[in-house]
Amino acid sequence: MTLSGVITILMYALAPFAWLIVLGLAVLLGVQLVAHLKGYRLFAYRCLGANLVALMIGLSTLWWLPLATHSRLAYVATVTDWVALIGAAIGVGMLAWLVLTPLSYLVRGRRS
Amino acid sequence: MSDPRHPPLGLSRRQLLKWGAGVGAAGLLTTTSAQARPIESRAHIVILGGGAGGMAMANRLANRTRGTTITLVEPREIHHYQPGWTLVASGVWNADKTLRPNADFVPAGIRWERQAATAIDAESRRVTLASGEVLAYDALVVATGLQLNYHLIEGMSPELVGSHGIGSVYASIDAASRTNRAIEAWIAQGGGRGLFTAAPTPVKCAGAPLKMTFTTLSRLEVTGQRDAFQVDYMAPGNALFSQPWVNDFVKQRFDEQGVNRYHQYRLSAIDPGARQATFTRVDREAQFTSHHELREEEFRRPEGLTEVIDYDFIHVVPPMSAPDFVKQSALIAQEGPFAGEWLDVDIHTMQHNRYPEVFGIGDVIGAPINKTAASVKAQAPVVEANLLAHLQEQPLQARHNGYTSCPLITGIGKAMLVEFGYDNNLDFLPSFPFIDPRDESWAAWVMKDRMLQPAYYAVLEGQA
Repeated sequence: MTLSGVITILMYALAPFAWLIVLGLAVLLGVQLVAHLKGYRLFAYRCLGANLVALMIGLSTLWWLPLATHSRLAYVATVTDWVALIGAAIGVGMLAWLVLTPLSYLVRGRRS
Repeated sequence: MSDPRHPPLGLSRRQLLKWGAGVGAAGLLTTTSAQARPIESRAHIVILGGGAGGMAMANRLANRTRGTTITLVEPREIHHYQPGWTLVASGVWNADKTLRPNADFVPAGIRWERQAATAIDAESRRVTLASGEVLAYDALVVATGLQLNYHLIEGMSPELVGSHGIGSVYASIDAASRTNRAIEAWIAQGGGRGLFTAAPTPVKCAGAPLKMTFTTLSRLEVTGQRDAFQVDYMAPGNALFSQPWVNDFVKQRFDEQGVNRYHQYRLSAIDPGARQATFTRVDREAQFTSHHELREEEFRRPEGLTEVIDYDFIHVVPPMSAPDFVKQSALIAQEGPFAGEWLDVDIHTMQHNRYPEVFGIGDVIGAPINKTAASVKAQAPVVEANLLAHLQEQPLQARHNGYTSCPLITGIGKAMLVEFGYDNNLDFLPSFPFIDPRDESWAAWVMKDRMLQPAYYAVLEGQA
């Protein structure tokens, strides 16, 4: 398959989710930018609540992602299935952490 | 004057947009080949059919030739993603998801005849269109798809789908939706007998009758009243699937899930009002796989033993063949297992066995397996290379290995990515080392649900 073929497939696959990807990136970049302007620095600020919520959001992926694909967790069976699902859960968890931690900073300020 | 198919820099606007948008993601992926240079030719290439095979060839030949005239004969304005029909009939997808305008895929600079072909004169190299117009060709690509012969089942017509407990995923996208409603009505009834039939001919997507059975089982199990429903699978031969390992798997799974298997049962008539189906018992020696020889006359001959079975729901799989106008042409196989029914091509080079300027692709060809969109993906580069070699009077070197793929849905939410080819008794040909074709998996389901449609459209564009 050519590079152009790979790109064609990716474009068709991602097109239905373009609005979600754009929205997610906008929220992520928006919160990070505003928080940085207010003094937030990655890893320098810690919030246990944000960490726990991000962890729960990541773990919840194990439940909702199979449902979102018209399937269920019981059908996640092979090593490939689990690697893909856990990878997705880690990705979602990290994304949530990158949004929630600066958000917590903005809400709570420098009290922590 | 510049060729409209080859703008400056060699990139179309569509390609430029994709490169711009996708350059970031592309870095994560490797490539295996580069686009070959176009060849010069004055030939008129006619492509019959704008389905998966025809559209892929239109794009490939438009990209790989300069100076040619390419005519695509396709009457439909809308392209149907047929691999999605089982998901529509199973209540997983909306019908709209399978539709796109053909104009999205027809390449610039080719002639698109929005009418059907009605005859092929292979000797004089001419195709007659519905309007009476005649097209002379130097090379012909037959990509007409196949014909659904519901008329060979007495009392049956595609218009009945969705009423009288009749479903048939093959008839059309609308019929797929109506099949879903018929299954819903059967489930709402709270019990009864469901018959799932198979055809005594080669069929497109040979896994579809099995998929419809498996997805319906999923829906019945969800009701919590599975035992109230009797599910019977009526097979005209001993086999349920051409690939031997998968055949054994499906038989075992049917037994485990309480599906009664009836072999040597061919659906020969249906009485919608009475909800009765008549099955003709087939000779025990007959092996209705893709290899068998079949004639319409065989359906017409005086029947032997028949059995009438009541049903509450029936999934009808019609006999299939090449379209009538192809069958009436000299291009149809004259002898062998596909005689009178399918296009006569060399299954490795895809070139016609008697008319070297003719190539076949997709469902219409006489081949032991291969009536899937995945087969088209594998056949298209072979047809492209060999047709161009033919135009240049070079030997045909590209060979199709029979690759085909069936994402065999074994329940709503899980599937097996079954890929195999001609060699070693239809042995597996897995594309991904990390997906075992013998495993039911969520990943294979996600591929079916999310990834294969994008890959299919890339095939149409000649990009995959």
